[in-house]
Parts: sequence; C-alpha cells; structure tokens
Amino acid sequence: MTGDDCWYEAAFVVGITNALNVVADGLAATLPPLDAGAAGPEAAAIFAEAQAFYGLPAGEVPTPLAVVARDPAYLADLWGAVKRAFAERRLSGRLKEAVAFAVSLTTRSAFGTPFHLGQLRRLGVGDPGVMEIVGVTQMFSSYTKIADTLQLSSDMADIAPVDSSGVPDTHRD
Amino acid sequence: MPTVRLRDASEYPEPARRLFELSRQWFAYDFKEPPAMSRVMAWDPHFGGPHGRAMKRAMAPGEFSRAEKEMVAAAVSGANACTY
Repeated sequence: MTGDDCWYEAAFVVGITNALNVVADGLAATLPPLDAGAAGPEAAAIFAEAQAFYGLPAGEVPTPLAVVARDPAYLADLWGAVKRAFAERRLSGRLKEAVAFAVSLTTRSAFGTPFHLGQLRRLGVGDPGVMEIVGVTQMFSSYTKIADTLQLSSDMADIAPVDSSGVPDTHRD
Repeated sequence: MPTVRLRDASEYPEPARRLFELSRQWFAYDFKEPPAMSRVMAWDPHFGGPHGRAMKRAMAPGEFSRAEKEMVAAAVSGANACTY
C-alpha cells in the first residue's frame, strides 16, 4: 500500500462514515427515517441502490440515508459520495469496511458500529479478523490518549516518502 | 512541548535499551532516538511490556495485513484527534 492515493481513499471513508454516523446517531430519534413510500420515487430509487450495494434485505435502508431522504437532491449527492468512498479502488471493500468499523467504534457510534460490523461479516471477515480490528482500535485508542496526555510530538511526521503519482483523475479513472 | 522530559535512550537501563532495539526492528526505521512512545513505555516495563505485546499481537498479519492494520490505526488516531 504505497502512494498517497491509498490515504486519500482511507480519509474519504473516515469522513463520510462520520458524516453518516452523526446523522444516524444524533438525528434519527427526532427526525425519523422515511420509508420508500414516504420518501418519494427519487429517494426510493436510491434506497434500492443502497440495499443492493450493502446486500440488505428489501425494505431495509441505512438509517442516515432514510433520514436525509427529506431532501432527495441532497440524498442523491450524499449517496454519490458514499458509493465513491466505499467503492473498491486501490483499497479493498473489506479494508474500507474495517476502517469504517474502527472509526465507528472509536467514536462510539450506535449506528455505525453494528452496521459496519455487519458489512465486515458480509464480506467474509470472521471473528478472528473482527478481533484483529478491535485489537488495533483498542490499542491505538490507548496510545493516542497516552500521547495526548504527555503531549508527545510525532516521530514520524517527516519520514513519509514523497509521492509523485499525481492526482488520480489526471492519469486514470 | 511534552508534559514530561523524555529521557534519551542512554539514560535507560540495559534491559530497556534492548527493547529499543526491538522497537527499531518493528518500525524498520533508524530513528536518531527511539520513538517517543517507546521511551514512554520503557519508563514502566511492567505496563509497557504487556501493552507492547498486546499491540504487536493486534498488529500481526492475520486476516488483515500489517499494512492494512497500520491504515486502520491511522484512522483510529485521526478519529481520536491525535497528532502523535
């Protein structure tokens, strides 16, 4: 996994995962998710696409998408970003789900943690693999707090090699 | 500015310095001084030892590679807003 494009992909997964989690965790109780009938045909088409993308049973829609379906145009753009972030490119789908699971667990997301755990399992990751991600999440949740408490400076901030592969869309995709 | 004065490797007893060599091998990078976290952990080997072993166990290749786990670790660090 060399080259900056891997890290851009990972960062987009982290960002959009957090975006979905904040809506699901913070809003769903007061702004209930809409079903396909209430959301209208544009949103319903996106719901169907999301069900296929995530391998969900018919009628089941990820909570954050169902909440923002009140604005179908916004939903369409949000879903476009989610699909792009989680699409297999330089990073595999299972790694992206592992990152999303780790971030959701770290941020104590009641929606994201079980959702991405379910996606990890759907992609074939068993208990040992899940525990690997739990272990990494837990240990680095420890290291980060020790480092912050002692206000340590990074040892590695300046050792990343220069990546000269360029902006992806300028030479592929 | 760190809350504590991080000791140089030479200030640690010999067993801790052997741990620094393991740390250098783990990171595969020749730091001028051992990484700050390695020096923090060496301050109390009874904490740093098992903590480090748990970390190495968690980071060892399994269903996910070491490189994949480093990426997950970076994401967790970012989510924790940790610049270290």
